[in-house]
Amino acid sequence: MVNSSHRQRVVITGLSVVSPLGNTLADLTLNAFGGNSGIKRLDAPFVEQLNCKIAAQAQFDPAEHFTKHTYSMLDRTSQMALHTSNEAIKDAGLVIDETLKPRMGVFLGTGMGGAHSIEDGYIRLYRDGANRIKPFTVLMGMYNASASAIAIEHQLTGPNQTFSTACSSSAVAIGEATRLIRHGYVDVMLAGGSEALLTYGSIRAWEALRTLAEEDADDLSASCKPFSDDRTGLVLGEGAAILVLESYEYAVARGATIYAEIVGYGAANDCHHITQPSVTGQAATMQAALNDSGLAAEAIQYINAHGTGTKLNDTTETNAIKKVFGAHAYDLSVSSTKSMHGHLMGAAGALEAIITTIAVNNDQLPPTINLKHPDPECDLDYVPNVSKTLPRLEYAMTNSFAFGGTGAALILKKVNE
Amino acid sequence: MTSQTSNDKQNPSLEEVSNTLAKMIADKMDIDQVGIKPESDLQELGLDSLDTFDIIFNAEDHFGIKVPNDQVKITTLHDVAVLVHQLILEQNK
Repeated sequence: MVNSSHRQRVVITGLSVVSPLGNTLADLTLNAFGGNSGIKRLDAPFVEQLNCKIAAQAQFDPAEHFTKHTYSMLDRTSQMALHTSNEAIKDAGLVIDETLKPRMGVFLGTGMGGAHSIEDGYIRLYRDGANRIKPFTVLMGMYNASASAIAIEHQLTGPNQTFSTACSSSAVAIGEATRLIRHGYVDVMLAGGSEALLTYGSIRAWEALRTLAEEDADDLSASCKPFSDDRTGLVLGEGAAILVLESYEYAVARGATIYAEIVGYGAANDCHHITQPSVTGQAATMQAALNDSGLAAEAIQYINAHGTGTKLNDTTETNAIKKVFGAHAYDLSVSSTKSMHGHLMGAAGALEAIITTIAVNNDQLPPTINLKHPDPECDLDYVPNVSKTLPRLEYAMTNSFAFGGTGAALILKKVNE
Repeated sequence: MTSQTSNDKQNPSLEEVSNTLAKMIADKMDIDQVGIKPESDLQELGLDSLDTFDIIFNAEDHFGIKVPNDQVKITTLHDVAVLVHQLILEQNK
């Protein structure tokens, strides 16, 4: 039943990742809060042909989780999404009965969908000279393949949508899923994102944009340096991150463990430039989330920044934070966990939402590592190099911005009761 | 995919075609080839229409034939083997 007059509270009750920082919450927590980098030399047969030989890869072997028949019909991005959704449901202790199935849906984000499958098809056609490609290419390459596979696996007949707004895709998916629960259309949602774009073609395309980090000469795992004057760019990553969201009433009724509450979601487009961010657009995104939550700006204690490690992003985001938070910008803490897990593109917002959830749960802020030479234009507290404890961390924001201009910000609240 | 020789590919017997298809099915479905008989219904072995497309696609590659769209149907292994064998014979004429 749709009940739009009463706004449901939306809580997070399940978390799961396949990420460069590990595939369990324990490993993710250990690494993201321990300041450990998941950036390594790319393990791929074509690595020597690349200028950029580093990446934040997920250690994920589909054969460990699925039959060959299942995984051979799914792109790597869908394999990771399906596994992650299974684990998130387990983590939430959720029993999906016949009553829940139509009241539960899947909203996922992805930037490049089944990139491996599309590229494999092109290799066969253009490099190998074949005149046809595998029958599953369309079904593996389409952007909604992951969300579809999850719905089929768990027989979730509720809303099933895929959002593609580049680097903010999964933050948008989480925000839109939150609204669906909030207004009573569903009780439970799987929301997050998946991305597997470490293919020769897509890495070459990123190289051409001149945004990828150079290898650090002393320690290649330290190549991503957000907010540091010696930054050289972003590091591509891959993985999947999925959250179980449900109405507070549904969670309490089934005795679920609640990680945190989503109290604000804002989205905006900067309408500025296809790649360049704007202070106005980023500030509008954060302000929209604040407005949605009804909180004063001073309530926010921590921001998980988009923090890609490009000069333009770091200074724009810093100035946008100052524009929204005023003097309070100097009281709150900001960190970029991309310094450790790289940029998961369509899965980035969801991974960072999960890390922020863990932060709120543990009263602990993850660090921005490799911040050895602070950029004078970036003068906030970026939690440099080591995590820090923040007693009574009640409210945290996580930012996602994107090529194409769509920004999304989520505000998480500690649940005390 | 199989250890067929080029001669097998060019002029295989019906039984050889059937064996090759059975190997392809076993590999795709992750099942024991011993359980795949000529009279086995592909649907009962777990293949849906897309799985059949995949098997036909691999058979086309392997034997260098083209199966017309209107002849791709889910039937028994024997039916598929006969179809593929017939197409090979026609091609070799």
